[in-house]
Amino acid sequence: MMLSTATQLSTPPTATPSTVVPLANRNIYLNPRLQQGGTGQMGNQRSEEVKKVLDILVRTKKRNPVLVGDSEPEAVVKELFRKIESKELGAEGPLKNVQVISIEKEFLYDKNQILSKIKELDRVIESRIVSGGVILDLGDLKWLVEQPMSFGGAQQQQVVSDIGRAAVVEMGKLLARFTGDGTNDNNLWLIGTATCETYLRCQVYHSTMENDWDLQAVPITSRSPLLGIFPRVGTERILSNPGENLNPLKSVPTLHPALTRRVSENLDPAQRTSFCPQCSDNYEKELSKLVAIEKSFSEAKQEDNRPSLPLWLKNAKLQSSDAKTIDQSEGKYQEVLSKQKTQELQKKWRETCLHLHPNYHHKIHSDRTAPPALSMPSLCNPNLFVRPPFQPRLQTTKPLGEVLQLNTNPVTSQPQGCTSSIPGSPVRTDLVLGPKGTENTPEKATEDGVKDLLGCISSEPQTKVLDKFADALDADTYKKLLKGLKEKAWWQAEAATAVASAITRCRLGNGRCRGAGSRGDTWLLFTGPDRVGKKKMSSVLAEQICGTIPVIICLGSQRGGEESDMNFRGKTAIDRIAEAVRHNPFSVIMLEDIDEADMILRGSVKRAIERGRLTDSHGREISLGNAIFILTGDWSTTNPEATRDGHVVDGKKLASIASRDWQLGLIVREKSAKRRVNWLQNEDRPIKPRRELGSGLSLDLNLAVDTEDDRTDGSHNSSDLTIDHEDELGLVGRQFTITSVPHELASIVDDSIVFKPVDSSFVRREIKNTISVKFSMVVGDNLPIEIEDDVLEKILGGLWHDQTSLEQWIENVLAPSFNQLKPRLPSIESRGLVVRLVVESDSGERRNGDWLPSRITVEG
Amino acid sequence: MGVVEEAHNVKIVGSGDQTIVLAHGFGTDQSVWKHLVPHLVDEYRVILFDNMGAGTTNPDYFDFERYSTLDGYAYDVIALLEELQIQSCIFVGHSVSAMIGAIASITRPDLFSKLVAISASPRYLNDTDYYGGFEHEDLQQLFEAMRSNYKAWCDGFAPLAVGGDMTTVSVQEFSRTLFNMRPDIALSVGQIVFQSDVRHLLPHVTVPCHIIQSMKDLAVPVVVSEYIHQNLGGKSIVEVMQTEGHLPQLSSPHVVIPVLLRHIRYNIDA
Repeated sequence: MMLSTATQLSTPPTATPSTVVPLANRNIYLNPRLQQGGTGQMGNQRSEEVKKVLDILVRTKKRNPVLVGDSEPEAVVKELFRKIESKELGAEGPLKNVQVISIEKEFLYDKNQILSKIKELDRVIESRIVSGGVILDLGDLKWLVEQPMSFGGAQQQQVVSDIGRAAVVEMGKLLARFTGDGTNDNNLWLIGTATCETYLRCQVYHSTMENDWDLQAVPITSRSPLLGIFPRVGTERILSNPGENLNPLKSVPTLHPALTRRVSENLDPAQRTSFCPQCSDNYEKELSKLVAIEKSFSEAKQEDNRPSLPLWLKNAKLQSSDAKTIDQSEGKYQEVLSKQKTQELQKKWRETCLHLHPNYHHKIHSDRTAPPALSMPSLCNPNLFVRPPFQPRLQTTKPLGEVLQLNTNPVTSQPQGCTSSIPGSPVRTDLVLGPKGTENTPEKATEDGVKDLLGCISSEPQTKVLDKFADALDADTYKKLLKGLKEKAWWQAEAATAVASAITRCRLGNGRCRGAGSRGDTWLLFTGPDRVGKKKMSSVLAEQICGTIPVIICLGSQRGGEESDMNFRGKTAIDRIAEAVRHNPFSVIMLEDIDEADMILRGSVKRAIERGRLTDSHGREISLGNAIFILTGDWSTTNPEATRDGHVVDGKKLASIASRDWQLGLIVREKSAKRRVNWLQNEDRPIKPRRELGSGLSLDLNLAVDTEDDRTDGSHNSSDLTIDHEDELGLVGRQFTITSVPHELASIVDDSIVFKPVDSSFVRREIKNTISVKFSMVVGDNLPIEIEDDVLEKILGGLWHDQTSLEQWIENVLAPSFNQLKPRLPSIESRGLVVRLVVESDSGERRNGDWLPSRITVEG
Repeated sequence: MGVVEEAHNVKIVGSGDQTIVLAHGFGTDQSVWKHLVPHLVDEYRVILFDNMGAGTTNPDYFDFERYSTLDGYAYDVIALLEELQIQSCIFVGHSVSAMIGAIASITRPDLFSKLVAISASPRYLNDTDYYGGFEHEDLQQLFEAMRSNYKAWCDGFAPLAVGGDMTTVSVQEFSRTLFNMRPDIALSVGQIVFQSDVRHLLPHVTVPCHIIQSMKDLAVPVVVSEYIHQNLGGKSIVEVMQTEGHLPQLSSPHVVIPVLLRHIRYNIDA
């Protein structure tokens, strides 16, 4: 067993009894995988290495192991000594009574005495070797090849390696002396560890050592995954202080302390102005509180540097202690840290202030969204925006955005006094010279690149669109928008009115006040089951307001066949939104099926609505610009019977009908017998009434106008979520309720608009009427046109999916064929004849892209 | 260092008569306590460890069966305390570890003098007469998202859980430790945690319990802390802090640390 050792020698530090007791069954709560400890994967590896070392020790030649490896070869040595100490090696063999003597570290560092120490060692070994052998633990061999103290100089290096060389020789003698006879059990072994580098150096500097010492190198493989927390310390340090990397102060080439200080002084007033006085008071209070807390903590701990704390804990401690301590380099580091903390506090108050006093932040906000002069890539760091001393050009751009917003946004900007004094002349010039005249595309193309770079907060395109909005917000914008909406989605007249007024309102700056008062992004929530209506309206909005097609991003489970763009593979929906905004911050982005989105996605969207900024999955934050977001979701419960009975237009059914390749034809037929009865009754009145059918035409028109009136009439109460029953919806309306629009969503969007289920009889009637009117206008009113329900169904299905509106289609496709038909008709007497619009062919898959037939065959 | 300490990355810092065990919650490791530890080391002996399955532990030790309930973790805690020969400790548990501590304290009340529970919830799912904050579908979507793209899920979940921007240090920190976990282990742990229901065990907890809770927490509605308070078998006290997020000790240390220190130092009046 271990005996007490001489002063300069000590036992290995591992040998505390508590840890060496075998673990078996000692702790019933223990994870069984840990109980297997010795034979477990990790332990396995180590015990194999120990075994390897033992094998070397019992050899007669090359029996002194040096464990070479970069990952804790010491642990293997410790394990070996533990085994020796606890006599796990068995009663037999040359190692059964061996003792371990370790060379003390300090002794190794005192180079001048090293030789005399080795002589001393000689005596100690001699006194103890009789009891069964000694293993001399040399520790890390780097003492043979390196100078541990930083003396510097080549000469010193030379001296050290001289001493090392002498030590090698002495140690060799020592070894030879005790193992010379080789016959008895009382042997001396050497054991040491080395990193690969150290061992190579040993081989270079002490070429005879390997032989003289009878060494055998044992490579120790690195034990990959589990090395405790220490190997992670490197990353830990970096990651737990990202402020160190992100902090702009670090990247600015002014590490000179004085300069850094000046920067921070400059920084402060700039930041103070970013809250209103009230919030800045609060901020000051909280800051002083923070400082007080930190001081009280740090004062208690300043004196000692606590060596027992792991590195990451020290970091945390530094972070919370006062900046003015310790030496210069560390002080600087701490300054950065505490600044980071202060900045976070400032940021917090800035955000609070933004929420509480949006008007004050009009100015700040335009700072944020329009700093094109900033050329640094890390624009996502809001700290950058409050550093005018570094970016003088910012000054010129700031008022630009401001004035524009003042122009377009008179309502919100007038009440605040703080932005009124804006330097006048250069700004006006900018306005005149700037975006207004430049609508040419090449500039736009170059801008796109810049936009991507700057995370699309360049002010140039923004002004363009703002101008556009200003123009577009003429009195008749609303009408134009409404007309467009009603044309494309005529069955949702009520919703169209609501959408038009919501958009107009938001664009005038009267949207719901979310955080910053002057945000450009608009959020609408379209509820209800009518997916087609929502899509059509989005297209109209995109075309009229942004001149583009809408970006459609599906948040829910992808529906079969719809918009499965391969480019979206592997991107999260949020990334796609971010990409869309980045690509064009002035687009209409339709986020479909938010009701089916998962919780995280919903949460992210909600945060985006609240903050006007979006964080993509790479952590980049982008401003939402002036995009119009349309969230869609169903949340409705429709009476299933209504769908089954065909009262309600069923999108799926229509898709299956319309997806086939079908052609329409016009044929002239005798009135069918069955119908003749009906018509005979009507035609009791001969020519004269037929003439009056001229007024019949106008009657038809009146009818159309009537329904139009009905619709506009009904739309007065459209913005309510609960629906009053419209006459024309009848049964359907009564069976439909929007139930569970989450309040959290409904309360933060600018407006919610309900899309009712579509009453199929109403839309069929409407199609029929419109076609009839056209027909009588072209062909004349003396010939009726008959359209069967299945044809109507197909037209409806086509309309549902095609981009064209009913009017367009009638004008472009039906009207020409009516014209074609007209000369073929018997000129005078068409009594008893009827023109029928019928399905000519209906064959399988659709061939071309159009959902509606592009021409109609006419039979004479 | 014994196998247990090594496996759990046990760190023992500071000195004092009383021992404090700091237990981290789902998706973090012991570094979540970095703001707190420096304030404890002068008065207390502080034991830090990583729960099995955390990114810093050896995945080979993660026995999916053992950790299919919270009991497995509770046994780990007891095993650790026995291993370190700790007679009695103040157990500070965050999130799921608060419940793990509660379970452990039922088995071995002698080992625990006090429980401090931060952002704890006995059940995350809503139930009749119980509001846990999550619907079944929410969780299914959550797990599905974890399954499909763990990195993206981490980046999405971290800001929500912490309640801050991706730019803040604490969110980056949480997302780092979250992403450190091996995805399959994270999914398993997440499922166990979010689907756990230890409400029936609360009455058996006799150790005094200090319940500390954020005002706004995605994972734990404020009412839950009241529920725990009402149902615990022993004495308990609730403090709701004006903080946001599920990891207040990481995101708002300047608020949380004084509160925590108070609850660690002082006991509930008899």
